[in-house]
Amino acid sequence: MATEYKKPVPRPSVNPEVSAPFWAGTKKHELWLQYSKGSQKFFFPPREVSPGDLTPMEELVWTQVSGKGRIYSYTTIYQPAMAAFAEEAPYVHALIQLDEGARMVGNIVDMTEDEVRNNSLQINTRVEAVFEDVTPEWTLVKWRRIED
Amino acid sequence: MSFRGEAAIIGIGELPTQRTTLGRSMPGLLGDAARLAIHDAHIKIEDVDGIITEGGDTYPAFVAEYLGLRVRFATGSSMMGASGATGVALASMAVMNGLANYVLVCIAQARNPALGGGAEGFPGHGSEFDFPYGPAAGANNGYGQIYQRHMELYGTTQEQLAHVASNQRFNAQGNPNAVFDGQPITHQDVMDSRYVNYPLRLLEVVMPCGGAAAVIVTTAERAAASLNKPVYVLGGGIGLDDFGGMQKPEITVSPVARSAPIAFNMSGYSPRDIEFAEFYDCYTILESMCLEDAGLVPKGEIGPFFESTDTTYKGEFPINTDGGQLSAGQPGLAGGFRHVVEAARQIMGKAGVRQIERNDLGLVNG
Repeated sequence: MATEYKKPVPRPSVNPEVSAPFWAGTKKHELWLQYSKGSQKFFFPPREVSPGDLTPMEELVWTQVSGKGRIYSYTTIYQPAMAAFAEEAPYVHALIQLDEGARMVGNIVDMTEDEVRNNSLQINTRVEAVFEDVTPEWTLVKWRRIED
Repeated sequence: MSFRGEAAIIGIGELPTQRTTLGRSMPGLLGDAARLAIHDAHIKIEDVDGIITEGGDTYPAFVAEYLGLRVRFATGSSMMGASGATGVALASMAVMNGLANYVLVCIAQARNPALGGGAEGFPGHGSEFDFPYGPAAGANNGYGQIYQRHMELYGTTQEQLAHVASNQRFNAQGNPNAVFDGQPITHQDVMDSRYVNYPLRLLEVVMPCGGAAAVIVTTAERAAASLNKPVYVLGGGIGLDDFGGMQKPEITVSPVARSAPIAFNMSGYSPRDIEFAEFYDCYTILESMCLEDAGLVPKGEIGPFFESTDTTYKGEFPINTDGGQLSAGQPGLAGGFRHVVEAARQIMGKAGVRQIERNDLGLVNG
């Protein structure tokens, strides 16, 4: 890395093992989520039990998903919570509904400044995951628009 | 079985909402609000035999000791900004079941920004899966997303919801407890205010403050002898949702869609009967979707409603007659409680310049 990455990297909670397979996946530029055979649902963020049916972690199945979905909603950030993002504002922070059902958060990349300032995005726009290797340890998932 | 008409609020106390409460502790603020409520109820401190606090930062046993109360019923309601309204429901159940005669429900928020508490907080879902993507502060982010989706699903406009902020600011004028008393704004001022995060403009976002409020809840029998006009609790329902909302089935629907029907069924009234509303309003969009979910306005039609309805205390359907949190300030944990206190104040006929005439039946979302 030529320049130091100054924005926050993921800080896992008390039990980092829970989400380790997710971040190992992004490092390979793949999207992996937990799947519960009990509820027959994918879910996010990773948990120690699946929501709704409480299947224990050891019975949850890490599965690669398509990385495709639609914009569920978004907001355009003019005043970020953290100063490290101030120079980039405005930018888009979106909720993504994956084809497999779970919902994720992330930025929409590949937008011009005019597109961002004119609030030109619409819900249900088709997107796919892109992966940004922000540090040698961490790869973030972001989203770009694709043809429907 | 329900608590319909079994319990009543007979005393209210509220401290002015302030940007900071330097030098004040949570129990100190609770003590001041409790004293006002006890005096207003015309009861003696030793009559109070039950206490409900928020319960997290203000553990009930600690507060009871600090205030010198000898109680036989105590609990925390632990519902963040909804702790006060939830506390009134719990207090009603307590008095109708003989667990206490007079329950003090008291909620406070001390605020000293110098003590910090940044966005990065402690590790968890936010710090792992959200902060790397640069969200807006606190709940701003999620309500921006809810606002955008509501606009696209229902055609709601920012011009329509700006009326929420300007109408409530009108209501706050002459309310000495409101932090924006003496600072009127117009609809255009709201539209001209800068984006915090699109579609949310600055004047559609609540201002964090400190403050405190308290009420006394007692049995209907005792309330009948009160010097105040008793504020009977006719129904109540509690709804809970995902805190973050990331996985909510539909983010434009609030838990009020589940709590309001419970309250209406208990009360025997319907949304058509309601004369005024005091509704949680951390953001224009949150208040708007809750008014819809309570059945006061059909889902998706809140925009045209605000366009065509005068919701000031002078209008045909008054909402947040004290300015709400948007114009009075949001005293943190006591935030939703101020809606309960204002509803009780209006029903008691003690709202002064902003007293509404049709004040018999109100709906509170706290």
